[in-house]
Amino acid sequence: MDIVISVKNLVNQFGSQVVHDRLCLDVRRDEILGVVGGSGTGKSVLMRSILGLQKITDGSITVLGREIRYHQPGPSRCWGVLFQGGALLSGLTVQENVELPIALHSDMPIETRHELASLKLLMTGLSLSVADKYPSELSGGMRKRVSLARALALEPKILFLDEPTAGLDPIAATEFDELITYLHDNLDLTIMMITHDVDSLFGICDRIAVLVDGGVVVGTKDEILNSDHPWIKSYFGVPRAQRARFAGRGEQS
Amino acid sequence: MNDAYLNIESLSDKLVVNIKGQWVFDEVLALEEATASVIPEPGQAVIFQCAGLENIDIAGAWVLFDRTEQLMELGVKSELTGFKAAHFKFLQQIIDAAAIREYEEPPETPQRPKVIREALENVGRASASHVEDLGAIARSILDGVRNPSLIIVGETIKQIYFTGVQAIPVVMVITFLIGIVTAHQAAGQLEKFGAMVLVVDLVSISITREMGVLLAAIMVAGRSGSAFAASLGVMKLNEEVDAMRVLGLNPNQMLVIPRILGLVIALPVLTIFADIAGIAGGALIAVGSMGISPLQFIERVAYSTDLSDFYVGLIKAPVFALLIAMVGTLRGMQVKNSAEELGLKTTLAVVQSIFMIIVADAFFATLFTRMGI
Repeated sequence: MDIVISVKNLVNQFGSQVVHDRLCLDVRRDEILGVVGGSGTGKSVLMRSILGLQKITDGSITVLGREIRYHQPGPSRCWGVLFQGGALLSGLTVQENVELPIALHSDMPIETRHELASLKLLMTGLSLSVADKYPSELSGGMRKRVSLARALALEPKILFLDEPTAGLDPIAATEFDELITYLHDNLDLTIMMITHDVDSLFGICDRIAVLVDGGVVVGTKDEILNSDHPWIKSYFGVPRAQRARFAGRGEQS
Repeated sequence: MNDAYLNIESLSDKLVVNIKGQWVFDEVLALEEATASVIPEPGQAVIFQCAGLENIDIAGAWVLFDRTEQLMELGVKSELTGFKAAHFKFLQQIIDAAAIREYEEPPETPQRPKVIREALENVGRASASHVEDLGAIARSILDGVRNPSLIIVGETIKQIYFTGVQAIPVVMVITFLIGIVTAHQAAGQLEKFGAMVLVVDLVSISITREMGVLLAAIMVAGRSGSAFAASLGVMKLNEEVDAMRVLGLNPNQMLVIPRILGLVIALPVLTIFADIAGIAGGALIAVGSMGISPLQFIERVAYSTDLSDFYVGLIKAPVFALLIAMVGTLRGMQVKNSAEELGLKTTLAVVQSIFMIIVADAFFATLFTRMGI
């Protein structure tokens, strides 16, 4: 089994507060890994570290065999990131936002670029009527879709999603989950997803990584559910998690 | 080179195109070239054989699909065979989404001979919005004065520190240097008349009446006017201002009044520092290179410069402060939607406040001359 992202002995420390204490995590090719954890356990910090946006205190991170260094150019051709708020460039239209990575990383003629960008917008379930709008004119859900289209613009091998369904209504969230599963099935994507949405966690993730005590507990859904770590127990023991868990079971059988 | 992606077998009634290799994003340019070389004879159908395909992604699939569409338009039948399931799903998806619009050159907007009309419209719109803005400021000041609170006092003191205390070094250095420059320039001219001692008059009067306050104001407009616009703008973008309103706080009172008040207090004090530094700069040159003794210098300053000169400079400071703070806060509050606008409004805040300072200064100069002060 190929390891796409490898985090070894990661330490992240802010002042006296140790967020990650020699954390090790491997992400396998073609899996959807869900990352959960309480507030302040460093989910976003972990993702930012992997993306080279965070100055790590110690440890090493490799993505696709390439060592990640803080603020050094990473394998930007091979990954796509959906930031929590979408992080669309506010001065560009939707179309331009999606075209931007293509323009940066290829020398395609403008027509091809334009068509590919349109394609990505369609793939994420947007209609082309939004193409000429500015991000500020879109709803939160649409902004996430545009951001996903931008993340997919370069046919990435790895997709990072930071709370993709946060702030979406249940219908939109379900649609988004379906979209991600669909893309995953069709595009040979490895997906690392931070989420608090237990439905998507049980519904679409192959493995779940729980950040606890500065480290990480990784396993399949059943392994995690059978864990006897107190925090994991209480996280998945709350009623909403229970419901999602049984809903997930129902689908499987 | 096209052999890497496809080879073509021409049969009597059909053209078999064997697709192979890497049909991926990075190769799109070459792929387009390769597919363009698929040109059937009249009467031939085109069959794309995809069994030898190693890798295909959406961009590659798109190129292939695009060519079949083009051929269709030319009246040539084309067919795709031998797809692996996953690849086919891609293409199917693309075919389903075939409503993709072609890229169109943006239409050239015809130049309308309405330039004058548009300019007039803009002037009108700008004036109207300025009147509106002024009303908003006046109202916010009124709101603030009507029910002042302790929070405002604390915030005001903070603003005095940021805009005043922290600006002292830079303002003093600048006016000190301008004092030196003025003295040098004056010395060059006055030497011809043998009136070297008048350099002192010139420096002390010009610094106290004009240069001190003007330089301090321009410096503050650059430092604080932009800071006001940027910080309020970011607060607007973060919905902090909205949150305040919902909490029942008046953002004008919480954010705008302390800034205006703080600057109105800080700038006159800064002006005093500026005057001192400017005259000190002049003194350095007078004493250092013109042979005027320190005592002579002080005597001459006292003789030539009235307190009224000093007041003329000082009285302008609160007015300039009001202009800077109002423009800065107002532009900040006007930010909405995008980071680009934030930059635009911040620039506007600085440019407009400096412009207004100079206009106001010209007005004061005329006024004081008429009044004979």
